[in-house]
Amino acid sequence: MIGNIRDLARKWLEDKEVDAIFALREQNGYLAPYLFTNVDKLGSMEISTQYRLSYTCRPSKENILSLMQRKEPSTRIGIVARGCEERALIELAKRSQIDLGKTKIMGIACTQEEAIECKCERPYPDNLVLGQKVEGVSQDENVDALLNKSITERLAFWRYQFSKCIKCYGCRNACPMCFCKDCKMEQGVFTETGWLPPEIPMFLFIRFSHISERCIWCGECEKACPVDIPLLTLFKLLRRDIKDLFDYEAGMDMTQEAPLLTTLDEMPMKEELASGI
Amino acid sequence: MSWEPKIVGFLCNWCSYRGADLAGTARMKCSPNVRTIRVMCSGRVEPTFILKAFQLGADGVLVLGCHPGDCHYTEGNYKTLRRMSLLKKMLAQLGVEEERVRLDWVSASEGDHFVSIVNDMTEKVRALGPFRQNSEEEKHG
Ligand code: SF4
Ligand code: SF4
Ligand code: FES
Repeated sequence: MIGNIRDLARKWLEDKEVDAIFALREQNGYLAPYLFTNVDKLGSMEISTQYRLSYTCRPSKENILSLMQRKEPSTRIGIVARGCEERALIELAKRSQIDLGKTKIMGIACTQEEAIECKCERPYPDNLVLGQKVEGVSQDENVDALLNKSITERLAFWRYQFSKCIKCYGCRNACPMCFCKDCKMEQGVFTETGWLPPEIPMFLFIRFSHISERCIWCGECEKACPVDIPLLTLFKLLRRDIKDLFDYEAGMDMTQEAPLLTTLDEMPMKEELASGI
Repeated sequence: MSWEPKIVGFLCNWCSYRGADLAGTARMKCSPNVRTIRVMCSGRVEPTFILKAFQLGADGVLVLGCHPGDCHYTEGNYKTLRRMSLLKKMLAQLGVEEERVRLDWVSASEGDHFVSIVNDMTEKVRALGPFRQNSEEEKHG
């Protein structure tokens, strides 16, 4: 797989289809994002399920790709992207963080093992260039278990989960969709700093209310959480609700307007909502 | 003293706040449980404001804006409608009853409508009981 990716990257660079390829590079046993411009360096290109190129860098709180595009607006960048990364790029583009017109996506499919590891429902990108599509994981027992709980059981479940939170901000930092420079989760008005566990319904709730509509269920937050709060399960549940409510799925289609970004003209509201809720 | 529901009301300046004012000047009888905060448009109400109200001890949050099509800023209330629908779903997933948040429309001439919404909401929240947030001990323990 990585051989094919390197070959294709070489071809794209040599044919001048792109000026640079954004991918992971291995150096001294570590992986890090790297912008390949020189075909001789392509031997160190790597792929991994542990790193996402759509990450936001800290502390500048800017998406790496959007940072590069701002500095070098005319450069055409090829980017090696899995399904979740492509979805992230689409949602970022909808929010004017990156310019998809200046990027060329080298979509790669995840293997069955990788899909199971990530509990991913759609382990392939739309622009699939390399690899074989495999079936996603549609069943998630955690989601089903919560759907069967009553409202008081749910509260008890989540209260326990959130009581474990150590306010490390790992989930926010890992999320490709969290890119605000001024995060309400850091502001004293909204979050009492210095106390554990976080207050209910603040802290994590702020993130949930800001992110759920654009969450592309990459699972990075859940993987980042040191105390194993099932964050992805919550976002999967909300994803169902958003589909019901707005008929919208994040990251699928660049032409579909995000429901919280649109106004009346662009996306009609369901009739029954117009009388107040 | 028996428990009384505390409801925070975010009222849009152009319609709903005036509707509430009208109810007052007309001396309509209205349950006193809503603490009013005037905002320039219901579109100003960010979900975090609602969460903050709950954190500070509210048992319910009411958001009132101009009727669809009447918003002073054309589409603020449509945006609020989307945001609130989603917030309610989110709260429900996390175990907070959807009825604790309500969005409705009140025009400047609808004092009676304002009163009926406030009374109705107060009774609904009363039936749900207090919103239990972290007890002091849980918070600092
Ligand atoms: S799964 Fe988590 S990290 Fe990924 S987009 Fe959704 S909220 Fe962000
Ligand atoms: S990663 Fe986990 S512990 Fe850290 S802030 Fe997020 S939910 Fe809390
Ligand atoms: S001005 Fe009243 S809802 Fe916007």
